[in-house]
Amino acid sequence: MRTDPDLAAEAARGSETAFAELVRRHQARVRGMARRLTGSEAGGDDIAQMTFLTAWQKIGTYRGGTFSAWICTICWREFLQVRRRTRPEIEFDETAEIIPFERPSDAQDDKMDLTRALEQLSEAQRVCVVMCVAAGLSHREAAEATGWPLGTVKSHVLRGVEALRKHLAKPEVA
Amino acid sequence: MREEEAYQDLAALFAAEDRKMDPKPFVAGVMGKVRRRTLRRKLVIFGVGTVGAAVAALQVPKLFGEWITVDNTIVSAISTAQQQAGMQAGLLSTTNPLWIGIAAMVVFSLAAVATMERA
Repeated sequence: MRTDPDLAAEAARGSETAFAELVRRHQARVRGMARRLTGSEAGGDDIAQMTFLTAWQKIGTYRGGTFSAWICTICWREFLQVRRRTRPEIEFDETAEIIPFERPSDAQDDKMDLTRALEQLSEAQRVCVVMCVAAGLSHREAAEATGWPLGTVKSHVLRGVEALRKHLAKPEVA
Repeated sequence: MREEEAYQDLAALFAAEDRKMDPKPFVAGVMGKVRRRTLRRKLVIFGVGTVGAAVAALQVPKLFGEWITVDNTIVSAISTAQQQAGMQAGLLSTTNPLWIGIAAMVVFSLAAVATMERA
């Protein structure tokens, strides 16, 4: 099986087939990440699509390393752009307390336990948990993607995971 | 123990949730947009390139005219073609074979560039 860097190199030479394979391999990770960051399936998939289109344009700049970290970094930037457009009044702050998702109340009933528990975290914790736990990035990769200090990322992951476990353990949630 | 291993159970839960997503429509959607963008880009490159090449070709006689050692037949042939283009654009290709050769080379080069060009 061809590796991600091999496929990326082929895609950089213009192979749409190689790029389609990369999309197929990483779509679940990227869509999952975008959906959890936005709190919306449709919004998340839009961001995921923009992520892959940007990746296609910039595939020549991929210089090895973990492809998932590279694509998740693009996804994070796309999310920030959308966030700035849609919620310019709330500046992103990794020390901020809970900022709930904006969603219609009738959608709440259908939420899965995991997603609902994720919503209870602060935005910074949610970002770090989504990147490191759900998308599988290392703490260092998440720190490089977000531009936050490594210690901050580690702390948010630690607290986020702790809070997530607590919410999942609650009888009304679990 | 690596820090990441401390939440393997939660990572497995997220991964299970992600596996439920159907990849086919999403991949098809992304690749459809990729192909449309690539096609649009090629058309733009080819169109702009053709216009640029045409403008450049019209300057060739003037350029060669100041270059004494260049074979005069090339200059006169292009000048003639230029005049003919102005008067009888439809008959151009049949009256001046050199012009056809130049145009073919330009079109071939642009087509090669546009085909190899990636988004």
